[in-house]
Amino acid sequence: MTTLGGRSILGHSDLWHRIATSLRVSGDQILVAIALVVIWQVLSMTFGSYWVGSPWGVATRFIAGIGDGTLLHQASYTVIEAAAGFVLGALPAVALPFALRRLPIATAILDPFMVGGYGAPKLALAPLFILWFGIGIESKIVLVSITVFFIVYFSAQAGIGALDVGLVRMAQVMGATERHVARHIVFPGAVPYIFAGLRLAMPYAIGGAIIAELISANRGLGYLIQLSAMNFDTTGIFVALVVTTCIVFIGNWSVNAVERRLLRWRPVSAITLQAGT
Amino acid sequence: MTLRDAAINHDTPVPVRSRQHAVALGRAALGALLLLAWKLSADGAGPLYVADPIKVVQRIVADTLSGTLLRDTYVTLRLSAIGFALGCGLGIALPFLLRRLPRLTAAVEPYIMASVGIPKYALVPLFILWFGIDDAPKLWLVGLLVFYVVFIAVFAGIRSVDRDLIDMARVAGASEAVIAREVIWNSLLPFFFAALKIALPRAVSAAIIGEFLVGNEGLGYLIEHSRQNLDTVGVFAGIVVATALVLAINALLVTVDRRINAWRPTDRHMQI
Amino acid sequence: MEEPLLEIRGLAKRFAKRSGRELTPWIIQDLTFSVSEGEFLTIIGPSGAGKTTLLNILAQIDVASGGEVRFLSQCAPVDDPKALQPGLTCRIGYVTQDDHLLPWRTTLQNVLFPLTVQGRLNAETRTRAEMLIRTVGLGGFENHYPHELSGGMRKRAALIRTLVYNPPVILMDEPFGALDAQTRTQLQEDLLRLWNLGKKTIIFVTHDIAEAIALGDRTLVLSRQPSRVAGQHAITIPRPRDVQGIMHDPEFRALYQRIRAQLQ
Repeated sequence: MTTLGGRSILGHSDLWHRIATSLRVSGDQILVAIALVVIWQVLSMTFGSYWVGSPWGVATRFIAGIGDGTLLHQASYTVIEAAAGFVLGALPAVALPFALRRLPIATAILDPFMVGGYGAPKLALAPLFILWFGIGIESKIVLVSITVFFIVYFSAQAGIGALDVGLVRMAQVMGATERHVARHIVFPGAVPYIFAGLRLAMPYAIGGAIIAELISANRGLGYLIQLSAMNFDTTGIFVALVVTTCIVFIGNWSVNAVERRLLRWRPVSAITLQAGT
Repeated sequence: MTLRDAAINHDTPVPVRSRQHAVALGRAALGALLLLAWKLSADGAGPLYVADPIKVVQRIVADTLSGTLLRDTYVTLRLSAIGFALGCGLGIALPFLLRRLPRLTAAVEPYIMASVGIPKYALVPLFILWFGIDDAPKLWLVGLLVFYVVFIAVFAGIRSVDRDLIDMARVAGASEAVIAREVIWNSLLPFFFAALKIALPRAVSAAIIGEFLVGNEGLGYLIEHSRQNLDTVGVFAGIVVATALVLAINALLVTVDRRINAWRPTDRHMQI
Repeated sequence: MEEPLLEIRGLAKRFAKRSGRELTPWIIQDLTFSVSEGEFLTIIGPSGAGKTTLLNILAQIDVASGGEVRFLSQCAPVDDPKALQPGLTCRIGYVTQDDHLLPWRTTLQNVLFPLTVQGRLNAETRTRAEMLIRTVGLGGFENHYPHELSGGMRKRAALIRTLVYNPPVILMDEPFGALDAQTRTQLQEDLLRLWNLGKKTIIFVTHDIAEAIALGDRTLVLSRQPSRVAGQHAITIPRPRDVQGIMHDPEFRALYQRIRAQLQ
């Protein structure tokens, strides 16, 4: 009987055991991948590719779509909506707690409104923004930025609140002004928290763009999904889903890469702890 | 506390009572300001873009009295509840099942984590294609969203259970079922409740957004249908009710959470 | 008689409890002593005697509840929180117990930090910083982050971070307390060497009697709470001191006994 960790009390064979286990796990994972594709193929043959698409059909359509540029073209709209909204939402979300950090009463006054904004379903506002800004990318950008804003606001606020007062005292003894403290101590200390918020907000940015496109749009991946659905083109839906998922992964990877670069100074345990979230 | 105050100790404590008054006053003022801004923008931008707050209130009252609002709210809540139950049930059961099959768990884990990256809302058109235009696709949406939140929390919770506790229980002769119930379930309760606080409001949100896309009743349908008819008052009314509903659920959960866990030494950092 | 650099008269301190208007008992009361320019003064006292509190007041990051502090015959504002000038415009350096290195800066960047903040960063001061880093044995670790350094290395970095901008007075709060004996001896020697070169005034707090005798020109013994000066001991062991072998010096034992007796 092996527990998940696979414990062994022997010395040298412990290393072998671990290598063997890790190889076996990788092997299993590859098996699962193959199994999933096979199951898909079987379903496609049983119910017809009309209902579930087929692995081969999706793969070929995907490659064709990338080749002639249509997929990337549509994807670019979604990416622009998500990225622009992300930046427009994140910047004020970081700036506001910073600006208010010496006015605790202002922060306290704002707090219930911010909590309300965070808890309220922003995506439910999608029809309102479409009403206001039309079915173009503007409405999606506004939706994404509001969603991202409330998430990052609380992370930034936590980062500023986690200020190590001892560091401030030390800097003041050395002649630091308030601006020095803000720039050299408060901000760098808050960056890890801000990035936690950015990582949290990223999927919401893309998801928000897609939802708004599903409701009403004439461009983008959500639009592509709806179009395919209306044409009963299941393969088209799957292809669009694959592209969407790729974008989510790329987005996550980018944020993580930037974070790793900026946070080289963090002790390792803190990083691995965050990676688990 | 300004940075200067933080850096330098005080001999006298900062007066607390007057600060509380100032904050309460400020909040009331800000709230009033926002309402005023709403009224002014309604007058300025025109009834098509911004509905007059008074008209919105009138509509909400009228719809409540006529029963349509209650009906729509009930539909949305029923959808959320059923989807929540399904997602929650599976989200709890699956980790416990996987616990007994460690090899399978290791094999499928990367795929489960990868599937988290798929935006679930993007699947709704597919669900509509597969399951029709009644409640089914919306139930799938709500169920999936809740499932992922609960599954990940319970999975992580089970993983974090103290190995020694389990070993000790086994040595004492406890069966796997008893171990699952007594040791593991109790250890993962905090994780589970944290997940519930996220999953429940999200279930309601998801139901509403599902109703944007398919169906002919519910709060989401009300909002989107009003938009298509350029009935801005209806849009605003629907959004106000939906927001109030979700915020009320949030508040309820916070209260219940506090009651249940009053005896626990709370870890403040577990909150967001 | 020369005007003392620093004069403390009748200093008193107690804290206000955060919850109510209650005040804690007096931590320091009626503390009076002076420090001459270029002197190496060690202060010794039992735990909780308010040694850190005293240094905080001298560094102007905390207020006193009474008494006065004169720096170069000028009264320093120690009772008004708004008038405090931490570090007295960089004339008082403070090496605290916790190293407080900025985690996001490398060793070199941390040492350069005060120069950056004071606007004195140039090629010359940079070279001086690099030299100091090498002097305390941190050469090769300039581009390491604090989490990659051992506790002793971090202490050394914090020490030279204060030395790099040459404040005339340096307060040190048990800087070598958490280190192993070997590192501690090494750093004590380094400190004495650097003090010799610069002719600074150092106020060094410790709970280790041997360290107090080895380093100081004079030792102040603080009583238990409420702390006042229980005694002063001039240390007549000639310089340069042999930190390693200080215990073999004939005068050491007598001094040690006297100081230890006073601490009871």
